[in-house]
Amino acid sequence: MGSEILFFFEVVVGGLLAGTMYSLVALGFVLIYKASATFNFAQGAMVFFAVLSFVGFMELGLPFFLAFIVTIGLMVIVGLSTERLVIRPLMNQSEDTLLMATIGLGYVLEGLAQAAWGVEVRRLDLGIPDFPIMFIADAIGIFISALDLTAGAVAAFMVISLAVLFTQTKIGLGLRAVADDPGAASSIGIPLKHIMLLVWSAAGVVALVAGCLWGARAGVQFALVDLALKALPVLIIGGFSSIPGAIVGGLIIGSTEKVLEVYIGPFFGGAIEGWAPYVLAVFFLLKRPEGLFGEKIIRRV
Amino acid sequence: MSEQNNSENILEIKNIEVVYDDVILAVSDVSLDVPKGSIVALLGGNGAGKSTTLKSVSTMLASERGKVTKGSITYDGERVEKLNPSDMVNLGLVQVLEGRRCFGHLTVEENVISGAYTRKLSKSEIKSELERMYAYFPRLKERRKSQAGFTSGGEQQMIAVARAMMAKPKMLLLDEPSMGLAPQLVEEIFNIVKELNEKEGVSILLAEQNTNIALRNSDYGYIIETGQVMLDGSAKSLLNDDKVKEFYLGISSEGRKNFRDVLKESKKNKGLAT
Ligand SMILES: Nc1ncnc2c1ncn2[C@@H]1O[C@H](COP(=O)(O)OP(=O)(O)OP(=O)(O)O)[C@@H](O)[C@H]1O
Ligand SMILES: [Mg+2]
Repeated sequence: MGSEILFFFEVVVGGLLAGTMYSLVALGFVLIYKASATFNFAQGAMVFFAVLSFVGFMELGLPFFLAFIVTIGLMVIVGLSTERLVIRPLMNQSEDTLLMATIGLGYVLEGLAQAAWGVEVRRLDLGIPDFPIMFIADAIGIFISALDLTAGAVAAFMVISLAVLFTQTKIGLGLRAVADDPGAASSIGIPLKHIMLLVWSAAGVVALVAGCLWGARAGVQFALVDLALKALPVLIIGGFSSIPGAIVGGLIIGSTEKVLEVYIGPFFGGAIEGWAPYVLAVFFLLKRPEGLFGEKIIRRV
Repeated sequence: MSEQNNSENILEIKNIEVVYDDVILAVSDVSLDVPKGSIVALLGGNGAGKSTTLKSVSTMLASERGKVTKGSITYDGERVEKLNPSDMVNLGLVQVLEGRRCFGHLTVEENVISGAYTRKLSKSEIKSELERMYAYFPRLKERRKSQAGFTSGGEQQMIAVARAMMAKPKMLLLDEPSMGLAPQLVEEIFNIVKELNEKEGVSILLAEQNTNIALRNSDYGYIIETGQVMLDGSAKSLLNDDKVKEFYLGISSEGRKNFRDVLKESKKNKGLAT
């Protein structure tokens, strides 16, 4: 009996830790959504592009740290070009147009990444072992790896920094203002260009971090693009515009999908991890469309 | 650097023509002056071209695919053609857009603070500027922590004006502050606008359909229709003008008609008399 409860905890903890990785990807989406009210379909491609470039730079002989910095620079350039070539020309179009544009941007980034670095799956070694830490296993009987813990810590750090940026800084206020009404923001002199540049660059950095953690576990490969779409149910549950929502949503998805997989999966012939989150998301869409933390939708009159 | 502006006028619009989407003619010929420190009313009905004229000045036009195709606009000695909205705010000109346009998800206080975005102020300076604004808008202070999207129309109009004033403008463009508000609230808002004009020395160009209240609170007025200035004069003279009275303040025998026709008729009558 006791071992069964322990096993359940282990499943949940494993799920929660996997969930922090979903949260990280979801954070990138939230950033863009806050500033442009658009679901950035390119976020998955950005994750792939970022981490593939990072690995590519290391293969070229750059040391780990330098490669990381160079990739951040590259993601800022991606953000800059996106602002200049996609966002600015479409600023006065409907949100749907922008949504379509992000789908296109996604394909462009996927293509660029593969053209530049090739298509084969890479291994990414962060030097953080991904096998159970023995003393934790011995002490409480739960298997957690150092990578799990790192992912959790990194996610927590990113969330806190972004929350501070949004709520405590001037640029954060500008960003929220632009998210609400770009026209009105512009009428009081908030430079939309700078805000968009900042947001896309920040989303790029978040994509890189998420990509590194995912890549270290699952290999740096094209499948990362689809994995990133797991963020969609996370966002539906947490609320598209909420940073805490992205975190809690990720944890909920991560733990429920693991629990369902282990306990109910066998009845469905396994592999329900793939679709269970979407079922949960649909349930939320029906019961609470703004998500757990999403702002109540206010219609302008 | 801008040359010294010795003119009496903070704003001079000369014969502008404005076109949207390269084909829609919204303003065909508007000229107007705003003397420093004054309140000028731009009056006219739906689609007359009031908002378009204001947006030409604040350069918000470009984001709606509109363009000034003829004439010139000089604000504080500077031609505005090559400037963007952010430049205009830095030069001290802020527009309060039609429909108030508050940031619905931000609190009332965050909305007001956001107006100081272009100014480099310390936390404590922002605090004192905020208190200065609350002195004009005590209602906003009471509601400072509320989400702006859930405040009343009158409060939202106050937020929009307070937000614009936080930029410490030399000139304010107000687009239909009375829109959709109860008469008593409209009165309250115009009183504050007048107070801001007197105490802060801010020059004001306001667009209104509500001719009566606008003229009672301005120094000078322009009446425009289908993108052209039809009539202008001191606020007092317009308030007492028979044609204005007939068209905007009273009802003629054939009911409401085009102001252009009222003008024509009065010309015709004069012609017969002589
Ligand atoms: N963004 C736009 N694109 C195309 N045409 C426009 C646009 N904005 C305004 N117009 C047209 O320009 C003309 C003038 O409109 P404008 O909004 O300036 O009038 P207004 O005097 O402000 O009217 P209201 O009192 O209804 O606000 C109208 O015929 C309108 O249809
Ligand atoms: Mg208008």
